[in-house]
Amino acid sequence: MALWSATQSVGSDRSARTGIRRRQLSDRAIQWLFIAPTLILLVAMNIFPLFYSLFLSFTNYSAISAAAPVWVGLGNYQHILSDKQLWTYFATTGRYAVAAVGLETLLGFGLAMLLREKFRASGFITTLILVPMMLSPVVVGLFWKLIFNPQSGIFNYLLGFAAGQGPDWLKDPKLALWAVVIVDVWMWAPFVMLLCLSGLNAIPEYLYEAAVIDRASPWFQFWRITLPQVAPLLLIAVLFRTIEAFKAFDLVMGLTGGGPGDATELIAVNLYRIAFPPQFQTGLGSALAYIILVLIVAISNLYIRSLSRIRGEV
Amino acid sequence: MEKSQRRQRAPIVEAIRVDKISGGTRLVQAIRIVLAVVYAALSLIPVLWIGMTAFKSRPDATAVPPKVFFKPTLEGFVSLLTDRAILLEARRQELLQHLDELPWYQRLMVQQGMEVTGPSQYVGRLKNSMIIAGVSTVAAVVLGLLAAYAFSRFPVPGKGDLLFFILSTRMLPPVVVTIPIFLMYRRLGLHDTHIGLILLYTVFNLSFSVWLMKGFLDEIPREYEEAALVDGYTRLQAFFKVVLPNSLSGLAATTVFCLIFAWNEYAFALMLTTDKARTAPPSITTMLGRGGIEWASIAAGSLGFLIPVVLVTFALRKYLLRGVTFGAIRQ
Amino acid sequence: MATIELRQVEKKFGELHAVKPMDLTVYDGEFVVLLGPSGCGKTTTLRMIAGLETVTGGQILLNGRDVTWEHPSRRDIAFVFQLFALYPHMSVWQNIAFPLQAQGVSRHEVRQRVAEVARLLEIEHLFRQRPRGLSMGDQQRVALARALVRRPAAFLMDEPLGALDADMRERMRGEIKRLHIDQHATTVYVTHDQVEAMAMGDRVVVMSEAVVQQVGTPAEVYYDPANLFVARFIGSPGMNLVPCRYLGGAVEVPGAGRVALSPVWDAALQRALGPACDVILGFRPEAARVAPEGPLFATVYASDMEGGYAMLHLSLGGEGGPVVHVRASRENRYPIGTPLRIDLDPEMVRFFDPRTERAIRREVGR
Repeated sequence: MALWSATQSVGSDRSARTGIRRRQLSDRAIQWLFIAPTLILLVAMNIFPLFYSLFLSFTNYSAISAAAPVWVGLGNYQHILSDKQLWTYFATTGRYAVAAVGLETLLGFGLAMLLREKFRASGFITTLILVPMMLSPVVVGLFWKLIFNPQSGIFNYLLGFAAGQGPDWLKDPKLALWAVVIVDVWMWAPFVMLLCLSGLNAIPEYLYEAAVIDRASPWFQFWRITLPQVAPLLLIAVLFRTIEAFKAFDLVMGLTGGGPGDATELIAVNLYRIAFPPQFQTGLGSALAYIILVLIVAISNLYIRSLSRIRGEV
Repeated sequence: MEKSQRRQRAPIVEAIRVDKISGGTRLVQAIRIVLAVVYAALSLIPVLWIGMTAFKSRPDATAVPPKVFFKPTLEGFVSLLTDRAILLEARRQELLQHLDELPWYQRLMVQQGMEVTGPSQYVGRLKNSMIIAGVSTVAAVVLGLLAAYAFSRFPVPGKGDLLFFILSTRMLPPVVVTIPIFLMYRRLGLHDTHIGLILLYTVFNLSFSVWLMKGFLDEIPREYEEAALVDGYTRLQAFFKVVLPNSLSGLAATTVFCLIFAWNEYAFALMLTTDKARTAPPSITTMLGRGGIEWASIAAGSLGFLIPVVLVTFALRKYLLRGVTFGAIRQ
Repeated sequence: MATIELRQVEKKFGELHAVKPMDLTVYDGEFVVLLGPSGCGKTTTLRMIAGLETVTGGQILLNGRDVTWEHPSRRDIAFVFQLFALYPHMSVWQNIAFPLQAQGVSRHEVRQRVAEVARLLEIEHLFRQRPRGLSMGDQQRVALARALVRRPAAFLMDEPLGALDADMRERMRGEIKRLHIDQHATTVYVTHDQVEAMAMGDRVVVMSEAVVQQVGTPAEVYYDPANLFVARFIGSPGMNLVPCRYLGGAVEVPGAGRVALSPVWDAALQRALGPACDVILGFRPEAARVAPEGPLFATVYASDMEGGYAMLHLSLGGEGGPVVHVRASRENRYPIGTPLRIDLDPEMVRFFDPRTERAIRREVGR
């Protein structure tokens, strides 16, 4: 591959004018030069750790002990898959995913339907609604702690409870997960709204005109035109948020730390506890991480496929 | 149009714009607007509440029932950003004598019975956040721009697969990658260093940055560069002279998204740093004051942390859709 | 079927007058074409008939019933859009069935009627496909099928052939006309293509700048244009319009010669203009011929070959004079600059008042 090639075909005009022959980097050189740093970094920081992690998952390594890793085969995996406790954590995460994603999809879609016809301040209102989505999840969790406080927090206050009379969202094991769901929906409904809005705005007006002339009632129009057109984007939103639900860490750590007890111990949180302080069971943690990874890859596959289907249609 | 004709209009659905058909009656539209505004207001109440709490005094912040009207003070900010020592009576008298010569924050604290001794740990953490977020963003945007350009303009072998690979790195749960990186860093002495986090953030932002910038670059017509090439510029010169100026808005959007990610990042910072290079997010959660939770300080910290992001959300609203879907959906 | 009546219908967008008050009656089974350049108001008029635009003034009657303020869904009309407006996520069959399903027609009947219409338009083989994969012509047929399946009182078509290439356009023109005759369907059709309008319309409504210029059969509009705009717009190329002077008994084309007037025209011009005045002479390319004894002198400016004829561009009165188009036979070669003389068919000349731009009528009361 020639790195340097004398200017001949291209650039001959200019060099003819200036009378200088220039050496320039060939296109191929530039191509690889530009991509190489990115690829190298990604491989080093993603691929390599991935394999290393795989290796570790078959060992009983602990990061704090001086001992070298010892091979235990599928021992870690067996341990995890037979651990009742861990299954409940998966179940908790699953419940949280279903509740949060379900609610934010409904709410987000509803908001998009509200905002689709532009009115004077609609851009401004839309931006306001989008603010929660951009905040740091852990910080969000933290200040919602204050808001959920049964004495001095405004959540109960606004719901109409007298001071101290309302439920203690973060201490009651039955309610804690719902508290997490509420905050999650607060943060991410705008995301679904954004996606749906773009889908709704892309529906050409003349489809509705044709439908009106064809005597379709508003409900018929919604069912047969609006919904099908928005469906692909809704799907993407659902998949994306589901993936995020299984990775959820920051928000829970800020809000409840996994408590009370283990009522809000989502799987990613538990993973942190296993692999880092206090347990430092690195090998076991790696195995768990891989199981979660497989789950996420499966869902991600669906996500990528719907993304490309949409791109193909656009 | 006479009155009688207007009354006859009852059966028709009156359009909102003079000639639009769908959209419902004026009444329905008004209801929509009201609902949207109500939601926006409700959804911002938590943020506003935190804003207010940041300016409350300690007793006000934990008042039961919660106080809506209060006397604002900067106590929360001061205790967040400074270290204090409890004043012994003798020293207290001494300071009270020279009260007017003291800077305003000292005066505030003296009244509480404390003396400011210097900036708190949090200030250092904030500085770390700024440095790490800033440097990693610049790196991610620059490298991402270059790679995106290559993908956009050249027939890179295996382009589709490579791009997919880049996108998929974003799908990984951080925890999977953290464990090995934690070990790696420890071995290489990168644990708890600025470089370590910068490297990691750069990599994570890279996948995002490449996809987003590619979307923007794809929209710049190739004809511009081809014209430059025909005029005698080299490929590199064409890149700097033609492509770069046209991609500024895309660059800006990407920069800000990357900044927001790096700024908000918690999980990696938590696991890979302990003290020297620790950024703000992991620090905020552990800010327990000298006698229980310092809500005003936490609120102040949260507010200070969130304001830049809120401002930037406003500035970015045009690009938000692209950003959150990795530029995959063209608007 | 139905009659459509427009009484003083007008449309304003704020200050902009998109359609000035117009009257029009479309008779049962008639095919009326709204023709004009972009922005003349023809599409807006059509949309008002459909109910897709509200009316600023006037009345619209469908079969005698005042539908001016009725919702489009209640007007019993079908609309064919320029961009087809086929529902992209539904199959062809579902697209055609949609209007019937929207009205709650029984499943059995839906199947029957869709099949019937599809057979008529020869698109049965496309039932399972999505609109995206179809050719433009097929998409247009599906759009027509969807309109037909409803058996409405009238059809409104907004430049339906605009998206097709020339070949397909000609074919579809014939098909639409055939359908119209078969179904005896009252149709209002909008186009900017005058060839199309002349080929398809029973009557043509020529519009320009929000005003109706002339309403008439294609022949009327071609041979007896009501004003300069229609004369120029209709025909390719449009009518030749030459300013000249009326001199009692003849008109003088400056620098080119005098054309004698028939007594009828003489009297008409006298009536309309007075003894000696400026007038505009109009004649179509086929109304003139190269004749060595003709009254008008000209030199050749350029010439095109058009199928079986040559189209000569002549400067009247020598170089620098007004350019007119005259049809000639292909055999003769006329290099640029050739001087020659032309003669005009007295039956086919027309005259226009330069001040009002209106045509001067040959007989009183016409």
